[in-house]
Amino acid sequence: MDVKLTEFWPRILEATIDTLAMVGFSLLFALILGLPLGIILVVTRPGNLMENKLLFPVLNAIINFFRSIPFIILLVAILPFTRVIVGTSIGTAAATVPLVVFAAPYIARLVESSLLEVSPGVVEATEAMGARPWQIVFRVLVPEALSSLILNITIAVIGLIGASAMAGFVGGGGLGDLAIAYGYQRFETDIMIVTVLLLVLLVQLVQTFGNKFSKIIRRR
Amino acid sequence: MIRFEGVSKQFQINDQVIQAIDNVDLTVEKGEIYGVIGFSGAGKSTLIRCVNLLETPSSGKVWVNDQDIQSLSKENLREMRRKIGMIFQHFHLLESKTVFDNIGFPLSLAGEPKSKINKKVKELLDFVGLSDKANHYPDQLSGGQKQRVGIARALSTSPEILLCDEATSALDPQTTQSILDLLKRIQKEYNITILMITHEMQVIREICDRVAVMELGKIIEEGTIFDVFSNPQHVTTRNFVKTVMNDEIPSSIIRMIESKEGTKHIYRLLFEGNFAGDPILSMASKNHDVHTNILFGQITELQGKPFGNLIVEFRGEDSDIHKALEYIRETVGVKELNIDGC
Repeated sequence: MDVKLTEFWPRILEATIDTLAMVGFSLLFALILGLPLGIILVVTRPGNLMENKLLFPVLNAIINFFRSIPFIILLVAILPFTRVIVGTSIGTAAATVPLVVFAAPYIARLVESSLLEVSPGVVEATEAMGARPWQIVFRVLVPEALSSLILNITIAVIGLIGASAMAGFVGGGGLGDLAIAYGYQRFETDIMIVTVLLLVLLVQLVQTFGNKFSKIIRRR
Repeated sequence: MIRFEGVSKQFQINDQVIQAIDNVDLTVEKGEIYGVIGFSGAGKSTLIRCVNLLETPSSGKVWVNDQDIQSLSKENLREMRRKIGMIFQHFHLLESKTVFDNIGFPLSLAGEPKSKINKKVKELLDFVGLSDKANHYPDQLSGGQKQRVGIARALSTSPEILLCDEATSALDPQTTQSILDLLKRIQKEYNITILMITHEMQVIREICDRVAVMELGKIIEEGTIFDVFSNPQHVTTRNFVKTVMNDEIPSSIIRMIESKEGTKHIYRLLFEGNFAGDPILSMASKNHDVHTNILFGQITELQGKPFGNLIVEFRGEDSDIHKALEYIRETVGVKELNIDGC
């Protein structure tokens, strides 16, 4: 093995930044899409606040559809769409698109399950106070579910880290790309070990932070 | 004032239609405490939810302060709901908010300024005796304290009506008593109309002015507490009354009487109101040459009036007993009993 240390660490650093950028941006966009979708899923559900017999089943089916496609297939299947959005199908920016398409429905489901944990009695009590529907959503459902939402979004972030490593397979950059291009294809075991360790560390950090944050919100 | 006019509600569950309330007429006067009692599934929960349209009646009308609430626009309904406080069996407090913020929540939803909210919440915390718990979270409170927060929250918008949905059913007897005392105080100090549903007859006896008994979605009996408790008509009502006023002769006494020979003259004497002036039994015994043997007795208070019943065995000549009973009848109600109960 002839790894030059002067090349090794900068490469690792660059890949780490790429991974963080991919996860960060795709998380941001996935939240922008997923949070409202999750809320809509809950409020339009039969028997709920704004029951909608058309919107709920349609949305439900669309989310199920995207959730059922394995990420590695989604990655290549939506390449044309990716090209339309970011102008290229290679690189970190291009990897963000499938990551968002993967994570948004996932987050919508997680948000849904968090919001459904809020006691219907509390919602009813708020209705009885003369609250408007949006007040019930943003001043009761979301704050009451916040601690659980944070734990669930932590799960989504970890899912995204895993998926971003896969995105490396199609030249998406990041730690996954590095591991495959050097560690796997060129048998540079050091790089493989370091990237895997970094991924493990990242996941540990995210989970620890998520747990702490959720606990602070729960205040107990 | 709340008025139900031929209110019915059906639920469709799969292929089955369930009649939750069946043509209910009911009027709750301003400033009174009105209780609706029934077993679970009698429809009382649905009934109380029709008052603030958490349930929409399938037919019939609900009037609140002379307004048909179903005719209100969404905005006006929200306005109306602010005038109707509601408390629940399981409190339904927001776990993510402090006691202070829970109590101020309805005002905050209504967009009231912070200074007004602060003032009102402080006043209510004091009223329900939780000033020292203002910054606690609901999960740090006992059941009784949670219900006090629920009550303070319901009062924050200064409502004219308070709906109590099994408000004491999740509490132990002692806490129940303290919550009932609080409700009584609220009714007195704020002159609020209280409509409460419960399955506990003790709660009804304790604080209600009038009561309706519900079964299978229908009101089967209605009246003042005194009338319903002292003279229940329907068998279900009688069973409810029995839960707080035991008027059955203990079986050991029945066995004792049965073991004796000869005719037994056993009567139930019903005492209502101001009977305590004269020693009726003693006079009857002395003047008519009969002996009396009290087998069982109970005296309680209903709406501030004493009410009691004694089960008495009379011994002596038939004619004397007859005369003695005539004498007693002038003052109290008399009913002949068979030994096998009532």
